[in-house]
Amino acid sequence: MDRDIKISIRNLYKIFGPTPDVALEYVKQGMGKAELLEQHQHVLGLQDINVDIREGHVTVIMGLSGSGKSTLIRHLNRLIEPTAGEIQVDGENVLTFDEDQLRKLRREHMSMVFQKFALLPHKTVLENAGMALSVRGHKIEEFEAEAKKWIARVGLEGNEYQYPHQLSGGMQQRVGIARALASNSPVMLMDEAFSALDPLIRSDMQDLLLELQDELQKTIVFITHDLDESLKLADHLVILKEGYIVQQGEPQEILMHPNDPYIVNFISDINRARVLRVRSIMKKTTEAPDNVAGDIGERDNLESVIALSGGDTSLIYRVVRKGKQVGVLEVQDLFKALVPTESTEGDTRSHY
Amino acid sequence: MATYDFLFSSLGLTEWCAEGKSDAPMSMAALLNKSKGTEADTPSLWEIPFPSMDALNDSCAAFPQSRDLTQGLEQGFLAVKDNLSIVLDPITQPLSWALDGALYGMITTPWWIVIPILLAVVLFVTKSWKLVGFVAGSLCLLAFIDYYEYAMQTLAIIFVCAFICVLLGVPIGIAMSRNNMMQRLTVPVLDMLQTLPPFVYLIPLIFLFSVTESKLYGIAIILYAIVPVIRMTNLGIRLVDLDVIEAANAFGMTSRQMLYKVQIPLALPNIMAGVNQTIMMSLAMVVIASLVSAPGLGVLVLQGIRNLELGVGLVAGLGIVILAVILDRVTKASLARINASQKQ
Repeated sequence: MDRDIKISIRNLYKIFGPTPDVALEYVKQGMGKAELLEQHQHVLGLQDINVDIREGHVTVIMGLSGSGKSTLIRHLNRLIEPTAGEIQVDGENVLTFDEDQLRKLRREHMSMVFQKFALLPHKTVLENAGMALSVRGHKIEEFEAEAKKWIARVGLEGNEYQYPHQLSGGMQQRVGIARALASNSPVMLMDEAFSALDPLIRSDMQDLLLELQDELQKTIVFITHDLDESLKLADHLVILKEGYIVQQGEPQEILMHPNDPYIVNFISDINRARVLRVRSIMKKTTEAPDNVAGDIGERDNLESVIALSGGDTSLIYRVVRKGKQVGVLEVQDLFKALVPTESTEGDTRSHY
Repeated sequence: MATYDFLFSSLGLTEWCAEGKSDAPMSMAALLNKSKGTEADTPSLWEIPFPSMDALNDSCAAFPQSRDLTQGLEQGFLAVKDNLSIVLDPITQPLSWALDGALYGMITTPWWIVIPILLAVVLFVTKSWKLVGFVAGSLCLLAFIDYYEYAMQTLAIIFVCAFICVLLGVPIGIAMSRNNMMQRLTVPVLDMLQTLPPFVYLIPLIFLFSVTESKLYGIAIILYAIVPVIRMTNLGIRLVDLDVIEAANAFGMTSRQMLYKVQIPLALPNIMAGVNQTIMMSLAMVVIASLVSAPGLGVLVLQGIRNLELGVGLVAGLGIVILAVILDRVTKASLARINASQKQ
């Protein structure tokens, strides 16, 4: 196994109902979600999930409601027990853990941020931020400095002694993030952490998360139903539908080569120019082209290149990484890349 | 001949019936008929009696009468009573001590110490000077009309009984909230305690304990008043936001930490609402318990009824109302304080 794979999910199944083991056999024989519900009254939650979550990366699990994404993330710290499969964290199978090991895992290796914040309403911001430490048995004097540091880091300096109900939603979620960070765990699970916030604050929080991530390099598993959000945050994107993985990979790759009409449908609404980056559509070459109009970075999005070119399709740009040329981008190709993609396999029904 | 003779003869039980026809005392109806000198004729269809125990006994003397049922119950209770007392007496003895101690303490401590202490408690739990003023005025009024001693006796009993209710009720409520089986077993008992008329509690207790012991009314009050605090503790803990419970789990809380750091603090408003109800129900029962020698304002009410002393009864009733208002206001105010610090 790869050394830098932090969490590895193997053949994970979750079936809700009175006799999941029996139902599992039917699923393995190929029965679908609707049939299983109709004939055996069991709900197929997750079906044959295989995901590798890399250390220091943001893995985004995206899907609509009912796709099983919240169920999946709760398997990682075993808030939900799987029906079958394996979850390895640092090479150890979490499912064999006894209660003490599991508690240690939750206390020291994984912290979690919730959609509805789930702060303790009777505790101050400071005590909430230090919750993970107080659970480990530290007194408030011992964790005060640490908690204050993280409260300040998420931009809530001066609010330490307020109660959650005195804060706005965005501020409450900042406390939630401070709480997760203060636990100092290498893995952070974020369950629709920003879904309950309004769009402007959501965007702020995404920026905050990216900024923190640049600095801290945590392993983050992020759940969302918002494609823009997942494209903004993801190093690795997993798309779930009705409990199975439709496609997973690098987000730019999925955007350029969707393999399922479901995903095509999904991505047809987004602003491609804003999420596609130069590096995904450039020609890889170190040869300097003629008539270079200028240099652009490989991580720039296409919108900024269009703005730079002023809409002139004849221009050619040099793509550079740290001052060195890594490719060439013709603005003409750029516009071709903006044409909505059809699914590369399966049917080619149109989505307008 | 009685209506249901045919039943026993058709079942071939006539002989068995005849065996019982000996010393059973005559029923009132039979006695009346006899004195009138008319044996009951076969009744018309209109007057046909329900085949009750007594009606069947008319036809068959060996069949038990309904008073045998109540008598049997009584005999049974008396049979186990002594053994039950051996177990219950030592367990409940501390209750007698607590009640006697509290009554003694409240009465022998001079009024100029007791009233300030009570006011200090009110200030401590409500942080409201307005309420302190109200309580001071009410207590002084009761003292002025020479009902101070009775009121203090009633208060002492309520304090002891409500305290024990909380002491027992909260753990029972917690156990119910954590275990569905426990809840299923406890709820019918609570329903029964709540629906039994308060006087009915007193009957078996009079048999079990002597009327001179204070635990007799103590137990009656506790049984009657403990229900709300148990119910509300159970409900409060079950109503704690599941998201918060999940978060606490995700951060690796033990179930003990969960109980003390999350569940009880968040259920506290509900638990306090239960305590408020428990205190009010203790007050209601302490009045009734004066029938079995509980001291306090209830004695005066009873005196009013028995001796037709209208004035005494009415003023004592007013005193009870004042106590009820005090207790309710004070517990509600402290409840409101807890609620304010816990807004979601």
